[in-house]
Amino acid sequence: MKKFVAVLLVTLMLFGVVVVSAESPLAGKTMTLSLLGIGGWKPSSLAQEMGQELFALYAKENLGYDVNVTFAESPFDSLFQKAATSLASESNEYNLIISDSQWLGALSEPGWIVPLNDVIAANPSLQVNWYSESASKAYMIYPDGSNNIWGLPQEADVLIMYVRSDYLTNPDERSAFAEKYGWELPTDGSNEAWEDIDFAKYAQICEFFTRPDEGIYGTTIQYSKIYDFLTGSLYPYFWSAGEEVWDAAARTVSGTLNTPKNAEMLALSKSMIQYCPPGAIDVDISGIVENYSTGKAVTAWQWAAQGADMVIDGVDTWGVILPGYRMEDGTVNRTSSLGGQPWVINAFNTEDEQQLVVDFLNWWYSYDTQIEFAKRGGSPLITEVLESEGFEDLQPWFTAYKYMMKDGNSKDFWHEPSYAELLAIQQEAWSAYMAGSDGSVETAQTVLDEIAALQDKVISK
Amino acid sequence: MRPDLLTHTVQNNMPIRKAGKLQDFFADNNRFILVLLLPVVLFFLVLNALPTMWMVGMSFRDYSLISATKTAEFIGLDNFVYLLSSNSVWNSLSKTFTFVFFGVLIETVIGVLLGFLFWHSTEMTGRRLALTLLFSPMILAPIAAANYFKLMLSPNFGVINYIISLFNNGKPIEILSSVDYAFWACLFVDIWMWTPFMLLMTLAALGSVPKAELEAADVDRLTWPQKFKHIILPHGKFIMMLGILLRTIDSFKTMDLVWGMTTGGPGNSTELLGIGLYRVAFSSLNLGRASAYALITLLIAVAFTSIFLFILNRKNIEEGLSK
Repeated sequence: MKKFVAVLLVTLMLFGVVVVSAESPLAGKTMTLSLLGIGGWKPSSLAQEMGQELFALYAKENLGYDVNVTFAESPFDSLFQKAATSLASESNEYNLIISDSQWLGALSEPGWIVPLNDVIAANPSLQVNWYSESASKAYMIYPDGSNNIWGLPQEADVLIMYVRSDYLTNPDERSAFAEKYGWELPTDGSNEAWEDIDFAKYAQICEFFTRPDEGIYGTTIQYSKIYDFLTGSLYPYFWSAGEEVWDAAARTVSGTLNTPKNAEMLALSKSMIQYCPPGAIDVDISGIVENYSTGKAVTAWQWAAQGADMVIDGVDTWGVILPGYRMEDGTVNRTSSLGGQPWVINAFNTEDEQQLVVDFLNWWYSYDTQIEFAKRGGSPLITEVLESEGFEDLQPWFTAYKYMMKDGNSKDFWHEPSYAELLAIQQEAWSAYMAGSDGSVETAQTVLDEIAALQDKVISK
Repeated sequence: MRPDLLTHTVQNNMPIRKAGKLQDFFADNNRFILVLLLPVVLFFLVLNALPTMWMVGMSFRDYSLISATKTAEFIGLDNFVYLLSSNSVWNSLSKTFTFVFFGVLIETVIGVLLGFLFWHSTEMTGRRLALTLLFSPMILAPIAAANYFKLMLSPNFGVINYIISLFNNGKPIEILSSVDYAFWACLFVDIWMWTPFMLLMTLAALGSVPKAELEAADVDRLTWPQKFKHIILPHGKFIMMLGILLRTIDSFKTMDLVWGMTTGGPGNSTELLGIGLYRVAFSSLNLGRASAYALITLLIAVAFTSIFLFILNRKNIEEGLSK
């Protein structure tokens, strides 16, 4: 019996060694992994930076092949065109694409990207315990409610607020503010300190710090007409007030977007322009960085992914949760816009390229890689990473990021193949409203009615 | 050298070379001309005619970049009906015509005035330097000029706004963010860029006026308005019309300059046809509707060109009638 057990153990050990040392099908080859991502966007460039620096080393040592990671980029508003035109020609020019969550429908319907259910089933490293179910579904699933997985979160993101702590902790400012408004400014950047800040209180903070004569303004928010910039900063008003932007089940917009409450919120959003530095309605992501980093704005609504650019030397900054809407029961409800981008795999990759991409993703979702990603300013979505000790200390905005990423605290736009038309309609209409001199709720209602009617036409096609 | 000349002898005693098949083929002068034209015709067909025909066909179909593998369903005139009933398109048309009208008019007036200033002014001190400086905006890339002015007009750190603030109680004016000013700011930059072109055309037109006729007019003591009416205008007007035609077409398709300054905003206050078309094609990704949009734009441009060509050819027509 002992002999049998010994033979069995030796056999198992040998089998184990063979399995462990099984070489990658790519062993001995020199490969190029071509990434396509967003230009000027830290989390996208980190993928290439870390890939070239760390994955290349990993592949060489553990998988036995050389890899060169290249990166093509395009601005937010033209990335889809760049990806779609390449994929439409069945090109494998980009092996792994950093997409946007709204694009899953548009990219998957024509068969341009690889369905990932089987890939995930075959690769335990990709069977990740995601921190937020709603966010992970937004990055991965199309259509909503199905189990069809098309993407994996490259980086998660959410709109948060950056605050100049030197202004808010200044004793003179604090006493002057308390005297004027009858309540104390938040004492630190913790979630608890900001949980009671609703839109009304936030407007008072902005009003207090708006001093054009000194070149200082209360806030800076994206109102730009480009891509989804204005939409991204407007939706938190709607969602926090408990409203929606369309009825996904009934596939209608009218009656959901154009509610009186949303009209009120749209007008409220416009009213905040008075507390922004001049040129507010042209401000995009980089404009926020510029306004904040040059000391023109005391607070800024910005994506967590831009944290590395917002938190700069010499400027004391808190990354805090967004203000919210005070409900009838007195609680403050806050729902932010979900940002972030999923990876999608080009369906026209060669067999070797598909293997390379899977190897890369297996490496990308390892704990060490994700911690390194976070240390460099990226935003992971893996529970083990976000719940790990010291995670919130890695970056000044991670406490707010983690809070806003919780299920229910952030939402994504529509996941419709026609998202581009839906977006273009409302960006144009809202931009015109923001630029106009009439900021009344009645006009806001008319604008929402028009948008709803046009979007219903697009969706019903 | 024409191929038929290849068979000629250069010395009387040399035998005439027997023409090869290729030479026989080229012996026909018309055929030779056709062969020479072939590359240009092919170029035109492949890069111009075929895409235009494709665009025309696409304009009657429901085709989006995000439904690339779906059948582009034939929908008749739906795209045109949608566009022509869209406030946004009419707004773009209105903005574009205003932009073209005021732009070309002001550029022409200033260009002509500057042209007369520099005409026969070879002795003017610094003439060459002045002309070089005047022509320099024209050679800039529109997108570069757009960014240049966008920075100068910035209410936060722009030099123009700094100067404005000196006269406005220290307050800058949000020029490019204002629905009242943004359009006119874009028009101003267009005029700044393209007035030199009209100056150039004016100088060319004035250069075509025969010196002898001007000297004769001086001898006959014609007044300046008489000289202008009877000598300068008849000789120069066709070059000037050509300049106006080129500027009108160019101004009509303005896109990059305004895109760089305002991306069509604020709201849609600077959304010219080119920007509207870009949005439909590359923001909405609706290529069927964008093709219809492009076709409408093309037809308007053709109409413009036809009117100007008619005016340009009027001289020949008038001469033909008088014979």
